[in-house]
Amino acid sequence: MMRLHCALRAVPALLALLLAAVPFAHGLDWPVDRKIIIGTFGEDKGSHFFDGLDLGGGQQEVRAVLPGELVFRYDEAEDYSSIPRGLGSCVVLHHEGKIETISSNLKKGSLGPVRAAYAAGETVGLSGDTGSSDGIHLHFSLYDEETASFLNPLSLLPPAAGTQMPVIKTVLLSAGDTATPLDNGATVPAGKAQIIAQAYDLRQDLRFLWPLGLYAVRLDLDGKEVARMVFDSLQVTDGQLRLGGIKLTHDKVYTSDGLLSCGTVELRPGTSHLTLSVRDFAGNETTKEISFTVRE
Amino acid sequence: MGKRRPASIFFTSVLLIVLYFTLFPYPLGKELVAKPAWAVAVIAGSSNNPQASPSVQGSSGQEAAVPEATAPGAFPFGLADSFGYVGPDGTLLSIGQRLFQVTLSRTGYINYARMGTDWIMRDPRGEQIASFSGNGYPLLSADGRRVLIVNSDLTGVQELDKNGDAEWSRDFPAILTSVSLQDDYLLVGLLDGTLQLLNKHGAPIYQAPPGQSRIPVTYGCAVAPDGSFIASVSGIDPQVLTVLGRNGSSYERTLRLRLPTDYRREVRMGFSPDSRYLFYEGADAVGLVEPDAGRLLPITLPGWLAGSAFLGESRVAAFAARDGQRVNLRLVSPFLAPVSSESFPAGDLFLGDIDGQLLLGVDGRLVRVDVEAL
Repeated sequence: MMRLHCALRAVPALLALLLAAVPFAHGLDWPVDRKIIIGTFGEDKGSHFFDGLDLGGGQQEVRAVLPGELVFRYDEAEDYSSIPRGLGSCVVLHHEGKIETISSNLKKGSLGPVRAAYAAGETVGLSGDTGSSDGIHLHFSLYDEETASFLNPLSLLPPAAGTQMPVIKTVLLSAGDTATPLDNGATVPAGKAQIIAQAYDLRQDLRFLWPLGLYAVRLDLDGKEVARMVFDSLQVTDGQLRLGGIKLTHDKVYTSDGLLSCGTVELRPGTSHLTLSVRDFAGNETTKEISFTVRE
Repeated sequence: MGKRRPASIFFTSVLLIVLYFTLFPYPLGKELVAKPAWAVAVIAGSSNNPQASPSVQGSSGQEAAVPEATAPGAFPFGLADSFGYVGPDGTLLSIGQRLFQVTLSRTGYINYARMGTDWIMRDPRGEQIASFSGNGYPLLSADGRRVLIVNSDLTGVQELDKNGDAEWSRDFPAILTSVSLQDDYLLVGLLDGTLQLLNKHGAPIYQAPPGQSRIPVTYGCAVAPDGSFIASVSGIDPQVLTVLGRNGSSYERTLRLRLPTDYRREVRMGFSPDSRYLFYEGADAVGLVEPDAGRLLPITLPGWLAGSAFLGESRVAAFAARDGQRVNLRLVSPFLAPVSSESFPAGDLFLGDIDGQLLLGVDGRLVRVDVEAL
């Protein structure tokens, strides 16, 4: 029930996201030509959520997605920094509607001359591997000043093609210190338990496994929605970055092993039916249904 | 009679001026001279010191420590890709080569690779002190007693305890653009133009809202070591220097100065170790502020500010700016008199304190410059 209340509280955040999208309604375009998504918003980064989108595709020009004004830049080759910058060389543009785009991990020395105005489509630099990076890519983030939120770029950019279905590999039932696989026909003890899943999306361009984050997760027990998570925004409350709407912190969404904490269920004796649905950013949805027995 | 009156006024005025300067002399201070004491070459993996022991290979394979048993002090330096520690007499205690970046403190350093979650903290001689893990990059306080991890997205910070466990962690509502870390305080400047001051336990002490500029972005921030003042350079149209002074449990504005600059990158600024002076980077200049006295001294210094140091309880401040292939160096006795002004060609540059004197690093050489009163 608590998760349901949380899901209801997500409505204002979703509205805010839609409002934030209004200035982009015409003209927001991808920052690169080769749209190879290699990291998605809200993914597990060990101790925190990923706040943007990683785009691979080798070295390529990174463009302004909207007309904007340069408000901050850092070039790993030359600029002073008081902090270790995991974002590497980066460019921050301020756009109409109090939106900022942050293009990071750019190639050292590829940032253009310092100037204030950028037209949509103008090059801000080249994708690179500066900062905390193990390969050439662009880290692209969208920040909404009005709501002080990081927004999921994939919610606002033109749709990305995606034909691969997301995967639910395993579903686990966790109570106390133990986690056991939850399969059809299983018998489990009654009481409160957490549903944990190894679930992910797949990269479109690869045949081997490169897991990506999901867009939405929904958990139903005996036909009733128990929990819903939508990875559309991140916002800080009480000094912790939380998933927009339901306000869950990173450690509530992911286990220390990087598995997805889908929600908490109250199991009562008898036969139960659990449905876990996951959706990717292209709208592909995978559902896993599990019938099991709850003993006294 | 009418012609004699102006003459008497003139002589009376002169007499009063002479009397004033006799009774209330302006403190010009003693004359200060700067002279080099020694110079050593700095090449990673080797030592020019004939008395030093052979190099010792660090466990990472990159650091080379040179043990020196009698060194009374160790002063960190970083010059191009090299870093290390030098004693007041010019003895090189250790020299290493940066893997990706190195965070230096008076008591130890962490030399870390671009990718990785495990780090080793070593003392000035290169001996391992501790090992840590975490997601992000490490940052040490000047005394080496505080170890922070700044996450790779620049959205959060955590502090590690002596066991390497997270003592506290905090996320911020916008990405970090600058930080100032002192023994008891952490001040962070954010992209949204706010400042957040945290105590050493990570608890918020004060939050400064964004200024009234057209676009509020924090470009630099500094907290005084004793927490008496915090300062920032922020905003576009206008860009503003703001100094806030502690008043009870809060902070109040003591100075707001509209700057002629239009930086879109981080600017250098900081307080002297005795918390008395603040410096900030300006356009071909450095601004020196004494917040308590409400005094400001602009120092002309062509180029980009590339280094700074306060020496001997702020007796002398040193600033260096890069102007193309040249470096302009200014030594000033704050609010009294300029000491020295030099300009020389240089590629790499470092300014630091060594036993109250200037440690100047230029193109693979370290020079100790003693500033003395005559």
